[in-house]
Amino acid sequence: MTTALETLDRAYQQMMQAFVRRGQALHYTELARDLGLTPEAGRGVLLDLMDTGVPAWLYDGTDYVASFAPFNNVPTQYRISVEGHQRSFAQCGFEALAVCWLFPGKDVTIEAPCLDCGEALRVVVREGRIVSAEPSTIYAFVDIPFREWRPNLAYS
Amino acid sequence: MNLFRSEEHARRWTGFRPEAEGGLLTLAQMMEAFSAPMFRERGAGDYISRYAQLRPGFLAGLKQITGDHPFWRLKG
Repeated sequence: MTTALETLDRAYQQMMQAFVRRGQALHYTELARDLGLTPEAGRGVLLDLMDTGVPAWLYDGTDYVASFAPFNNVPTQYRISVEGHQRSFAQCGFEALAVCWLFPGKDVTIEAPCLDCGEALRVVVREGRIVSAEPSTIYAFVDIPFREWRPNLAYS
Repeated sequence: MNLFRSEEHARRWTGFRPEAEGGLLTLAQMMEAFSAPMFRERGAGDYISRYAQLRPGFLAGLKQITGDHPFWRLKG
């Protein structure tokens, strides 16, 4: 990793704010522009950012962001709405709940189908408080032990 | 991590494995686990600089929330 920590902090914030603002990741050329770098330098920053250990990854064999926790840059079953407007997708059921911390003071709604029956689930969270859950019996399940999440992030 | 309408739905799911039942959590447990500073502070300007410091807090909380279940331990 060659990128300075301060630059990685800025890159992380630019990426996160892009998801908050528009529900999509930045391409490395956009990241470069926001950081005042050349496109190739921006690409290097993106690769280093993905190598910091945060739960994020690129599409295989590309420089395109696939996932950047708590968001996903491709549709998942976890639709995220803020104040009634659908804006993004969550990385997984766990991270769907964590989206609320990026929208302080606002209701964040998670809508998803149950993978067993296909019926709808709906959870509204606000700054870490579950405002409502339909049904009230919602459960989560992951079949990969926690110690194996890192090499299986997309399946965890 | 997937969401289900109830524990019964999770257990009935084709992807459910009995040996992984430690991976079942309630919504309240999930919310508590994902309220650690590691998640709350993603909007902070120095997040990457402090990421390594934030992670132990999440792990400690997870240990408490799951009753130190082997499924949620970092080392088997």
